[in-house]
Amino acid sequence: MNLKYRIAIILGLILASFWTLFPRTVVERVKRNGEFVYDTVRRVPLKRGLDLQGGMYLALEVDESKGLIPDKSKAIDNALKVVRNRIDEFGVSEPVVQKAGSDRIIVELPGIDDPVRAQDVVQKSAFLEFQITDKTQAFDKALPRLDALLKDAKIAVAVTTPGAKKDTTSAGLQSLFSADTSKKADTTKSDSANAVAANLGGPGAFSKLIQQGGMPGEYYVAQSDVGLVTQYLAMPQVAAALPPAKVLRWSSDTLSLGNRVYRPLYVLDAKPIITGEYLTDAKPNTSPTEGNLVQFTMNNEGARRFRTETSRHIKDFMAIVLDQRVMGRPPVIQSAIGANGQITMGGRDLQAAQDLALVLRAGSLPVPLKVADVRVIGASLGQDSIHKATTAGIIAIALVVVVMLGYYRFSGALAVAALALYILYTMAALAGFQAVLTLPGLAGFVLSIGIAVDANVLIFERIREELAHGKTVRTAIDEGFRHAMSAIVDSNVSTALTAAVLYQYGTGPVRGFAVTLLAGIAASMITSIFVVRTFYMIWLNRSRDAQTSLSI
Amino acid sequence: MLRILHDTSYDFIRWWKVMAAITIAFIVLGLGSLAIKPLNLSIEFTGGTLMQLEFTQPPNVGQIRSTLDQAGIRGAEIQQFGTNREFTVRAQDAAAVAAQSKGAESIAITIGRVLKQKFGENNLTVIRTEAVGPRVGSELKRGAIIAILLSFLITLVYLSIRFEWRFATAAVIATSHDVFTTIAFLKLMHLEISLTVVAGLLTVLGYSLNDTIIIFDRVRENLRKGRKETLYETLNRSINETLPRSVLTHVTVFAATLSLLIFAGEVIRPFAWVMAFGVVTGTFSSIYVAAPVLLWIERKWPRKTGVRQSSSTATPTSRTRPSPATATR
Repeated sequence: MNLKYRIAIILGLILASFWTLFPRTVVERVKRNGEFVYDTVRRVPLKRGLDLQGGMYLALEVDESKGLIPDKSKAIDNALKVVRNRIDEFGVSEPVVQKAGSDRIIVELPGIDDPVRAQDVVQKSAFLEFQITDKTQAFDKALPRLDALLKDAKIAVAVTTPGAKKDTTSAGLQSLFSADTSKKADTTKSDSANAVAANLGGPGAFSKLIQQGGMPGEYYVAQSDVGLVTQYLAMPQVAAALPPAKVLRWSSDTLSLGNRVYRPLYVLDAKPIITGEYLTDAKPNTSPTEGNLVQFTMNNEGARRFRTETSRHIKDFMAIVLDQRVMGRPPVIQSAIGANGQITMGGRDLQAAQDLALVLRAGSLPVPLKVADVRVIGASLGQDSIHKATTAGIIAIALVVVVMLGYYRFSGALAVAALALYILYTMAALAGFQAVLTLPGLAGFVLSIGIAVDANVLIFERIREELAHGKTVRTAIDEGFRHAMSAIVDSNVSTALTAAVLYQYGTGPVRGFAVTLLAGIAASMITSIFVVRTFYMIWLNRSRDAQTSLSI
Repeated sequence: MLRILHDTSYDFIRWWKVMAAITIAFIVLGLGSLAIKPLNLSIEFTGGTLMQLEFTQPPNVGQIRSTLDQAGIRGAEIQQFGTNREFTVRAQDAAAVAAQSKGAESIAITIGRVLKQKFGENNLTVIRTEAVGPRVGSELKRGAIIAILLSFLITLVYLSIRFEWRFATAAVIATSHDVFTTIAFLKLMHLEISLTVVAGLLTVLGYSLNDTIIIFDRVRENLRKGRKETLYETLNRSINETLPRSVLTHVTVFAATLSLLIFAGEVIRPFAWVMAFGVVTGTFSSIYVAAPVLLWIERKWPRKTGVRQSSSTATPTSRTRPSPATATR
């Protein structure tokens, strides 16, 4: 090939590389005064993986612990849309939300500093229901029956409630015991089953834990008894004896009466008058009287239904139920309600109101999700990794340069110049293909600097052999490149095949490693074969004594 | 001109029995010790929770342990990581993994909460959390094994096309040898096997294969020249001829590996160790596994006249060269 073309190609590649790597203005979500906004920023277009810039990686699966989901793949598709909507509004720069395999959602949130909150936003079901509190006193009528049931279940319970209980349960038992027996309050877990059984024997085992509340369908349970009541309600025979077409829901808030803390328990009509599916907007607000709250708006159809339903329930109390928890105290319906309403947040902060508004806007999750895999990397650790890998890279380059210059002198200098181009081309290739740079990728890159000169070493050794056979410099160079070619191609292709396998079967960081390896192989073939050859050709054309001696 | 190991004619292959004994002893030692204690697999493969914590003051490890024990996270491994203010907590036993089946993050949240209660909210930062559910772990394990096997298969096919099956088989056996020595090395060094380490292992395989290919390429070329010599002699000649290249390349790669090992930090260190060992085992296997195995294959299944050796590489003389039976002396 004509020398001029060769030079043109190399210069063209250099220009293209610089152009690819030149810091450019991109539109990105950035944090400005605590708010995420779209803005233009200038930066080098090299993508850093989560392990380098810090952030959170989440893999979510359908949670089937509370019942099987028939069509998982479809459910995941629907959940994916919701999660994507939520994340888009959550405010992270360049989030990734994608489906992996048939039943998993991958969420990547770079630079996140509050992983718990992020996870909550992703996982919250956000299923909103409006239910009327029961006015038929169905629960009161059922109480004697429940008491009797618990009495009968005394022996069974001692067997079926094993030691594993929540802490609240034993706390509840402690207070019970301190009231009517002299047994020390420090009940161990194995004791608690017996304690349940003992308590069951008493008259009104259930009803004595329950107090009438301030509105129809409202009951108060001492905070310390909440665990015990929950446990009773979970017993199959109790669940079967509960009034039909009613549901029991705990309040999300507690309430202080005198010096005791209670948690309200509501008995609600099972059929909601309306659900959150008609919601079109929700925004957080703060009111001086009710604290933080979320105001919502429904679409026309929702508003119409809401109006009809509420007009039928004037003077009734309406519970706003989010994920099976009653939010705030159910308000009384004064008159038909239209498109707007609000959810009070109790004592929780504005952030909680913001997050709730966000998940309500994005819609509810069609299936519960559980975390299958989570990685959170602090931004400082990522910075530290980049810093260390860069140090290692610079030292590796220095060592390789010393070896090449010391051993091959002038030719070594050509190889070093080619190595500089190798680094430039590889970076450009990574930027150009929008590959993600990871820590293993950086390590692979440092390693590839050592491996990249291999092709040159092969060629130089060949040239030396040819020179030793008494060939002229020009012929020796030609022959050297020609003979080394098959070894270079075979070894690089086999490495590239391995890298391709890694890419196919790797995840996250390992994939980044494979991409770096592939880019490195391509760049090293170009620089060691094409670029160094061209350097030699330039030198042969210009130098007078080139024909007789070569510094190699 | 600075030259090292120029025009050598060492009889490398003569020592193959000694070398085989050494490498088999190493592999047996390494893999044999698996019977006592299994491989140190990372949570990516077993499932579990890993947290990296940075304290403002060097903490008392005993306190960390007792705090975790009280929280019900028993058997967690607590290790210093780099400085004496950084620690990793690893909850990887069966109980911890089972506790995660409802959600991989549960244990991590507990660890973070109880330690912050104990040491104070501002006295420690969680700088890395990894929590992998058991299902993901087994999938990754399967993926890693498939990746290694598939890369073997592809290599075998590629080399069979470029060389011929005898060379390809010898190269793949040499590379499998490196898998075993590297696993033995990982075991003896008690290094943690993570996805990154598996990537390192595959890089070692690629590198070792490279080295074998460079020598076999020379063998292929020397066979084409049709010298009157045995395959044994051709192999030795080829190893000697490629010796300067081997030394130079291994030196530069080792330099890069060494700088990774020393400067690139804790996270990447196991990977760097694998690579450092890989340079050694790759070089070794190219000479002492690939070459003797090729000789053995040639003796078992000698190339017959008329059998196509490889695309256009067969010359009349190479077909009639003496049987490699003389090669083993």
